Formats: sequence, structure tokens, C-alpha cells
Amino acid sequence: MISCIEIALKQELKDAEASSLIKKARSYFGIKIQSARCIHIVTIESDLDGHQLEKVKDDIFTNPVSQVSSLTPLDIDFHWCIWVGFRPGVKDNPGATAMEAIKDHLGKSFGPGEGIYTSKRYCLKGDTLVRGDVEKLASELLSNSIIQQFKVFSQGEWDKTIGADVKPAKVVLDHTPCFEVVSIDSDAQLAEISDQRNLALNPRDIPVIRAYFLDPTVLASRKTMGLSQPTDIELEYISQARSDHCNHNTFRGIFRYTDADTGQEIVENSLFKTYIQEPTLKLKSEKDWVVSVLWDNAGVGRFDGDTNYVVTGETHNSPSNMEAYGGAITGIVGVYRDPMGTGLGSKLFMGSFGYCVGDINYNGPLRPPLHPRRLLDGVIEGVKDGGNKSGVPTTFGQTLFHPGYMGKSLVFVTALGIMPSQVKGRPSHEKKTSPGELIVMSGGRVGKDGIHGVTASSESYSEHTPAGHVQIGDPYTQKKMQDFLLICRDEGLIPFITDNGGGGLSSSIGESAMISNGCVVWLDKVPLKYEGLDMWEIWISESQERMTIAVKPEHLDRFMALSAEHEVESTVIGEYTDTGKLHIKYKEETCAYVDMDLLDKGFPSWEFDAIWRSPETRGLTEPVIGSPANFNPLVLKLLERPNISSKEWIMRQYDHEVQGGSVIKPLVGVKHNIPSDASVTRPVLTSQKGLAFSQSLLPWYSQIDAFHMMTCTIDEAVRRLIAVGGNFNHIGGLDNFCWPNIGFDPKKNPDGKFKAAQLVRACRALKYACETYEIPLLSGKDSMYVDGHLEGDCGERMKVSALETVQFSATSVIEDVSKCVSMDPKVAGDLVYVLGTTANELGASEYYESFHKIGLNVPHVDFEKNKVVYRALQRTIENELVASCHAVARGGLAVHLSYMTLAGGMGLDIHLSDLPMDRRRGELLNDTLLFSESAGRFIVTIAPENKGVFEKWVKGMAANCVGSVTQDHDHLKIFGLDREAVLDLSMTELDHAFNKTFGDMI
Amino acid sequence: MKKVNALILTGFGLNCDTETAHAFELAGATSHRVHINALISGKVALEDFHILALGGGFSWGDDHGAGVIEALKLKNHIGRALLTFVDQGKLIIGICNGFQALVNLGLLPGLDRDYTRRSVSITFNDCGNFRDQWVHLAANTQSPCVFTKNMETVDYPIRHGEGKVIADPQIIDTLLAGNQVVFQYADAAGVPAKGAFPLNPNGSLEDIAGICDPTGKIFGLMPHPEAYTHVTNHPDWTRRAQVLKRAGKSLDQEMTIGVKLFKNGVDHIKDAFFK
Repeated sequence: MISCIEIALKQELKDAEASSLIKKARSYFGIKIQSARCIHIVTIESDLDGHQLEKVKDDIFTNPVSQVSSLTPLDIDFHWCIWVGFRPGVKDNPGATAMEAIKDHLGKSFGPGEGIYTSKRYCLKGDTLVRGDVEKLASELLSNSIIQQFKVFSQGEWDKTIGADVKPAKVVLDHTPCFEVVSIDSDAQLAEISDQRNLALNPRDIPVIRAYFLDPTVLASRKTMGLSQPTDIELEYISQARSDHCNHNTFRGIFRYTDADTGQEIVENSLFKTYIQEPTLKLKSEKDWVVSVLWDNAGVGRFDGDTNYVVTGETHNSPSNMEAYGGAITGIVGVYRDPMGTGLGSKLFMGSFGYCVGDINYNGPLRPPLHPRRLLDGVIEGVKDGGNKSGVPTTFGQTLFHPGYMGKSLVFVTALGIMPSQVKGRPSHEKKTSPGELIVMSGGRVGKDGIHGVTASSESYSEHTPAGHVQIGDPYTQKKMQDFLLICRDEGLIPFITDNGGGGLSSSIGESAMISNGCVVWLDKVPLKYEGLDMWEIWISESQERMTIAVKPEHLDRFMALSAEHEVESTVIGEYTDTGKLHIKYKEETCAYVDMDLLDKGFPSWEFDAIWRSPETRGLTEPVIGSPANFNPLVLKLLERPNISSKEWIMRQYDHEVQGGSVIKPLVGVKHNIPSDASVTRPVLTSQKGLAFSQSLLPWYSQIDAFHMMTCTIDEAVRRLIAVGGNFNHIGGLDNFCWPNIGFDPKKNPDGKFKAAQLVRACRALKYACETYEIPLLSGKDSMYVDGHLEGDCGERMKVSALETVQFSATSVIEDVSKCVSMDPKVAGDLVYVLGTTANELGASEYYESFHKIGLNVPHVDFEKNKVVYRALQRTIENELVASCHAVARGGLAVHLSYMTLAGGMGLDIHLSDLPMDRRRGELLNDTLLFSESAGRFIVTIAPENKGVFEKWVKGMAANCVGSVTQDHDHLKIFGLDREAVLDLSMTELDHAFNKTFGDMI
Repeated sequence: MKKVNALILTGFGLNCDTETAHAFELAGATSHRVHINALISGKVALEDFHILALGGGFSWGDDHGAGVIEALKLKNHIGRALLTFVDQGKLIIGICNGFQALVNLGLLPGLDRDYTRRSVSITFNDCGNFRDQWVHLAANTQSPCVFTKNMETVDYPIRHGEGKVIADPQIIDTLLAGNQVVFQYADAAGVPAKGAFPLNPNGSLEDIAGICDPTGKIFGLMPHPEAYTHVTNHPDWTRRAQVLKRAGKSLDQEMTIGVKLFKNGVDHIKDAFFK
């Protein structure tokens, strides 16, 4: 029987969800709704009787104080009603918890064919509303056709007795599971099969695959298992393992790099080995705090004698561009599994985000899958639910706007964990599988989720087709699993653990079985969300919230008892062996039997041509902009720009202090609304030690040279750490590359060779910066195809590529958090210093961008000189000489002095003529000094009595006193090169500009 | 000396258990983090404890109203033990999600000592979104609440999407008259916010941030005292430290007002049970 419970807030109470709909309808589409109410619908397909239904309605789904509910449609008046529900197979988290609640409350179990599904309807009133408006709201605000379906009812179309007539969104697959044998008589045939099955096999891999399966020894061995030609599951396994996602073929590829200016050609054999692995391993041997790098799900650094920290980051771009909420929540919940699956498992203690999106007010002709505004809304909400419900504080984050990201938006998510350095007397960062250990899958069940990614989006839907390619993360299930696994770890029940992410079991078992050198997997044991999946689908499904764990047979009972207590599903699905074979069975039948070392059988490297042309050769020049006559409005205009203005509304939605270790928050200053340089967290509550964390994104500089983009990004991330009290001798790095397609194609990607050269240059800069600043790369990821083909007005498709982007994250351990520094000036009379030289470096600056110019003089980083200053500054902070400290970043001194004025709530008098200057890159005028984005700079305030000692510490360095903090006025007053007044803005004016663009967002 | 045993619930999406346990330890209690199912199965007995803490988090994802399913689960399985616990004069504190669970259980407000009736609801913030923000709270010095003894104004963070306390007007009046309103959102001087956002971050009626039962032994609040167990948790600590330094002083490294709240509870148990 199918029953629907409708629930709404009592009429007299404010409906915040409906209010938000009214507000967005007006501001996004100019559609006027007079009033709205939201109704939640719980659809139950079960054998519950009328009495039981009443009971669950009243006891579980209705709050007697605030809600009304009914088993028939609620009679709430409307002009139009929109119903929105999930498509079949989309993760319905509230549906799952409703089922748990009913099971417990009634002591009832749900059989096959029974289930609970949630949906919503919105009752809208508005005299002027027409169907077109309402359908627009339904399709462009309230639902996404990829995961949801909607119905629109006018007043006249509504039947008060049947209401929205909601049917269960259940998956029915009329299919008997099977596997297929694939003919590989020729390369062409295998290539064709690869196309048909979306295997995405690289043409150059095909002969290697065929050679393996046609090898007489292999054939003989396979024959013993009843196999001959490869099965579909075997080809899927190879396809997953050889994908760029899993194998990083680009970074391991061969680049023929030509400098077109000089004609010099250099062959790069592996960017990963040369520029990431080699310097990191060298630094690991020199720095004893580096514990584990480059092989596990995340890198490991020492926190203190008893504890290590774990860090990793990734992107979830493509799914977020299709379904922003689902993509982002899956991204954050997914990256949180990496620290859980590092070593023997760590506990998450913080996360961060980075969003790069198009212009949220875009109203041009191009049609991205989601408008940037809607995309950003969804992404923010996804990370909010994913992060907050995981119980992990989101302590840092940045949001950046550029038109290139309309082609593909970027969603960076980063995760940090903490673990005891020893578990039962053994190092926690080491793990291995051994023959005889059982393969256990814990957490969620397996469905058609994420199989072959977005290719499925082009398939047509039927009522019961699962919408598997876009997922919705389930932080609740994962939180239960993490609680459970940490107890197992501490009891010594886990010799090996890894997560199921890209590639699903194929990756997690495939990779972990390499350690024991073999496995046998019983696919029929894998718990499924619904019946009818083929073997290859079970094997590569990317259904979320799952970990793969090795458990010794003697520990299985205890492991399963803990699993049951935590209400986490765990299943033995195989056994590690040392047979040298990956052996997959379904019931008694073998459906895969290949050698564990198959992937080492001489698969060729990918190859790229890279051609570099210098910015000068490309015709870039400095723009001709005379010195402005009036700086006041100019600075206010900059503060209003989206990339400079307040994004407080985003950070406020994230719990940034759960777990109780918050020291330096993401928002600081007297009004707690200025973005901090970095965050500091105490992951161990009984310790005074803190973990400082910062990130930087400066993709604009790639428009001139990705080499300098990389150096500036790393320098800024490091400065941000130093500014809060970070330790220059302990800086861990994390590189997240997002690059447009670098594979040259004369028609489809004519500038691929240039983008390839930019990648090579960024990698060279990465190595150079890491070596000079002594930063081991604890972890890193790459996402290589950040381009979109957007439809225009006339049906043409326009390729839009994102900027070559690297998000660099940096970590440091602070001995005593009570010495940490925040950026707000604190006491009137304090002296203001600027450390680091300002040069004519306005290339790709915010200032130039405000005039739609790029320029040529991109900032250069002088690492050797900077590190002397950073070490000195660190000493002054450790000696408690510094009252406030801030790294100068995007927008230059004018913007960052404004931030400091706002943060301190006190006036500043600043003299540009006293700045440390460097005229080697060109003339310096007041505008250059105010807006240049030269690297290596800090603004510092100190007590006047510390002047002598402070200046001794920075003697001989570029460090000048440029003014003071004052309570005589609350203005930012800046005087120019001739000590003339050039800028005078009050706190109110600064605050108004800073909050103008997004200030009314909540 | 006997130890005060505090039980902090864990499991099913709850998440502030570690710092709540830490706060109780700093307050002089012995903390035990216990999975809800361990209480239900009888592996752990509620009667062995003096203080029960229902902490923050997202129990069952908060999918069907915050704290609703947690309340139902506790009521169904250990409802009787909870009432006995209350009868014995032991303490229950519910923070954020735990406060939501307490009103759904009916343990709060416990008018006329009816500990099963749901008469208060904590619903969606007026601002329409989850919010993390430090708030100023004015403590009701007339309140019987044992946790807030000797407190006047305090700062704690709120971190919730559903924190607006509502009830029928006569219930609200009764709570005010009986000094069951323990904390109100206020300005820095301790003057109630009178609904003004963001001082009152969620639109709570009468700026209510926390209430207790008539005995003062059951206490629920939306702000997180366990998030302020170290001086560096406060958003203004760097500024305060610097200003004090100029006066030749340093930031008080002793007990924060967050820990003080837990210590009041622990001290009450010592007085009531160990003397």
C-alpha cells in the first residue's frame, strides 16, 4: 500500500524555506510571489495499517508545537503548486532515516518492495504568476532534472483528495545479472568495444591489453578457470586502473617542451617524478617531521611525539557542474574518507573549501548546465550539509570569480585528520594486507551510482531508470562508520583500510591486493541497494560511504559486533591471497582471473607536445593608464569587486569550531567579518600545540605565465601561515592542479600545446619553490579537463576554458597557540610596518582587471630574499613583539590596508613614501604602490616600545615603519610619495563598500 | 574522594562528544563517551552516572526535525530509566541537538513536573540558514538552573540551523515567570537583544537561548559552552591578550566561562550526593 504523510509548519509560524524561495524568485528571475508555504511529503510503500500510519505520523513526523500533518493532502490555499521529488535511485537521505525511525518505533522490518521516499511541494500565491514563471521556478530553482522530477498544478488542476499523487521513486531493474566475454580479434575490434562500452581505453594501451590476453601462458592459466577471451569485468578493471583519474597519466607522461623564443627543446619524462616525487623524497630525508608521503590516500606529518596529522585535498568539478548540491556534498564527504583510509585510519579534525565560479550576475548568451549563481548556491549548500553533518569544522575557504570558470567551475575540498602515531605498539601510518585476511566492505550499499560518470546523462529516462551518474553524499551514514572504525583501529582490528572512491571496489581491492599479491572476491556477497546489477557494475560502482578493510579471521567476530552496535553494515566479500591473481567470482562462477602484475606489462606513457611562447612574444604589454586623480572612489570600487568583497555569508553557514579546537577563526577582527590569513586549530585538546592551515589561489597570473602563478601562489600560502604564527621550518604543501585540456588537436584544442607548456612551467616553479622554502608535498591531485562547451544563442557551441589553476594548501605546527597572531590592529599608537619590497608588478592584478586589462608585469618571487624575512618575522612573533600581522595579497596594499582598518576598528595613517621599494621592474607612482601585487609582503603592527628590538630583528631587510594606528579618527588615511594626501576613507565608507556586493546574503 | 561520573552520548550522527567530555574532565568529572545503543542494550547502565549530557550534532541527520528521532529512540528504549534518573535529582544537560532532543522528549520544560509533554519547539532560524556565530548571553540570576550559578553575562558560539525557540504565549509566560528562561541572547552589556538580528541569531521568542525545568536540574541550551574550554577559543582573545599585555597583565589562563558551566553542575553533584 502506498500512503503519503503531508507535514507543514503551522500557518501562524514563519516558513523560512518558503521565504528564501520568495526572495530568490524575485532577485534571480524578477518573479513576484506574494506568499508561499512548503509542505514535506513522506511516501510510505509498506503493509502498515491505518493505526500504525497514524502513530508514525504523530510520533515521528509531526511536532505538536510547530507542525500540522495529515494522511490526506493538507488543505493549504495556492494559486500554483509545485511538487518536487527525487528520480529513482537518487540517494534519499531523509527517506533512509525515516525508515530507521519507523523500524525502531514500530519494531517493524521492511521487506523487498517496501520503502520510504521523501518529496516536497510548494504552495505559491501571487496574482500575477503564470505557468511559465512557475515552471521556471520549478526547473531552475527548485529542482534539477538530473536528480529530480517536478509537477506543476494550477488551482484548477488540483484534486484535493489525491493531491500531488506521489509514487514511490523506486528502482526496478528487470535484469538477471551476468557477465560477457569480449572478442579481441583485432585492435580495431577492441577499440570499437571500448567506444561502445565507454571504457575510454587509450588507443596505445589496446595492443598491450590484447597481447596479454593472447599470451599462451595466460590463456592456459585462464583455461583452468573456464575463461578464454577477456570478460567485460576484466576490461572494466583495466580501464579504471589505466584512467587518468587513477593513474595520473598526464603527470607521468612525456612532454616535448619547446621554447619557441629560443628554439630550445627539452624532453620531460615525468612531471610527477621530476618535480613532485624527487624534491619531496629529498626533503623527507632531511626533515624528520615528514612521516609518510606519496603512496597512501593522504600524506602524514608529525604533530607531536604521540600524534601525527594527515592531509589531502581534491576537486569534484564535473559532478558539481551537473548537480551542484549533489556534486559538492559528495565531494566533501568523499575527501573525508581519505584521511579515514590513511594508515590505519585517522580522525577528521578540519576541512576547507575553494570555489572558482563564473560571474554570478552573468546575463550573456551562453548557457552553462547550471547558471553560476545557482551553481554557487548549490555548492555552498552541499559543502554545508556534508561538512557540518560530518562533525568536522570547516575552518578555511575561498571563493573566486572569473568568466573562464563558467566553462567548468572548480570545487576544491580539503581534509585533515589526526591519529596516534602508534596503535597497539605499531606505527599507525603503515598498513598492509596479508594472505588469509578477509576483505570486508563497510558502510553504504552498492547501486548503479557513478558508473562511467557523466556519459550516462545522455541516456533517456524511464520512470524507474536509476539516475546513477550524479550522487548525493550521505554524511550521516559516513559519520556512523567513522565512529565505528576509530574504535576498531584502537582495538587493533585493522591491518589495512582504504576508501572506495573513484573506481569503487575495482580500485580499492585491486590496489590493496597488490600488497598481499592476490585476492579472491565473491561479488554475490556485496550488499546491493536493489537487485539486477551486472558483475562489472558491482565491481566498479562508485556508490559512496564505503570503506574496504582487511580483517584477520580471528578478529572478525569482534569487528562485526562493533559494527552491529554502531548500526553500520559490514560484509565479508572476499579474501586476500598470495596467488598472484586477481580472482573474481560470482557464486561458483569465475568472472575475472588476471595477474596482479598485469598493470606493469609495459603500458605506454602518454605523450604531449608543449610549446612555450613568452608573454612578450605573445604580444602582451603593460596598459597605458595615467595616475588616477581621485583614489577614494577607486579603492571603494575595488572593495566592491566580487573577488575582494566580503564573503562572510558563505563562511557563516559552516560550523568552523566543532570539536572545540578553534584558535584563529576564518573570520576575524572587531566585527568578526574579515577573512583571516589562515586558520589555527588545536586537534589535541589537552595540548597547547596548534595546526595552522592556509590556502592560496592566484589563477589570474596564468594569463601571463603559469610559472609565476605557481610561485606567487606558494609564496602567498606560506606568508599566510607565517602571519598567524606558523613555523617556517615545518611547512607541508598540498598541490591541487586544475588544468584545461593540454592534448593538442588542430580543431578541438588548437592551443593545447601552449597549455601543456604552461603545465610544465608550473611544475618547474613548484619544484623550485618547494626546494627553496623546504616544503615537502604531503599530498596532491590533478584534474585535467576543466573546459566546457557552452551553447550560445544560435545553437553554436563555444569552448570556454578555465584558467590554469593551482590551489596550494599549506600546513604548519605551532608550538604554543597562545603566541598566535591575528591580523587586526589592536592598540592605538602602535606602529605600522611593511615588510618586503613593492615593485611595479601590476600584471594580471585586480587593479588592471577592473579596467579589463591584463598587462605584462606579473609579480616575481624572490624566494632567497623572502625566506630571510619570514624567518625573522617568525622570531619576532615567537618573542611576542608583534601585535598584528597580515600577508598582502590580491588587490595590493590599498585593499589590504582597508581590510586591516576594518579588522581593527581603528584609523590608520600610512605614508607610501616610506615603503620599501624596488624600481627595477619599472617606475613607481602612488597608484603602482597602492595596487601592485608584489609577493613577499606583510603589514605588521607593533607596540612603540618594541620598535628597537623589532628593528634589530629585521635589520638589513626590506622592513620600514610606514605609519601608525590611531584613535584620533577612524579613517584609512594614505599619504603619497610627496607626502600629499592621496586617500581618506572612513570606516563607514570602507565597511559599506566591502559589504555592498554580498552583504545582504545569508 | 568519589568521582562525579558524566555520561556523554555518542553515535547516530552526534558529534560534540569529544569536547564535551573534555569540558567535563576540566570541570573535575570523569567523562564516559557512551554509544546510545550501549545504553539501550544494557551494556552500560544509566544509573551508574550522575550527569547525562546530550550533546550537539546531527542525530539521524536531523532529517525529520532536529533531535526528533533521538528523542523517540531514547523514550522508546530507556524512557523509564531517564525518568528515574530525574527523580533521583541527577543532572541532564542538552546542548544544541541535545536541547532539541530534550524538548522533543518532554524533559523540558517539565512544567508541573510533567516530563513527557512536548510544549516547546525549536524550529528553523528566521534567517533561513545554518549559522556559526559567537553570541552574548545574559544569564538569569534568579533561575534555579544549577549550571549557571554565579553567571551574569557569557559568550558562547551558536552553530545551528534550527535554534528558534517557540511555544504558545502562556507557556512562554510561565517559563519567564518561573525563571526557567536561563539564557537570553543579548548585547555585549547583557541587555536582551529584543529579537534584533544578529544579536538574536535565530529569532527565538523572548531571545530565549536556554531553559531549565522547574528544579533547575535539567538544562537545555542552543549555544555551545563546550566550545569555550580554552582561552584561545574566544574570537577576541588575541585582542584581549594584547591589551592586557600593555597593562602589564596577561590573559587569564584559568577556567573559561565554558568550563565554569560544567563545573557548576559537577559541584552541585558533589554537594548533593557526596556530603
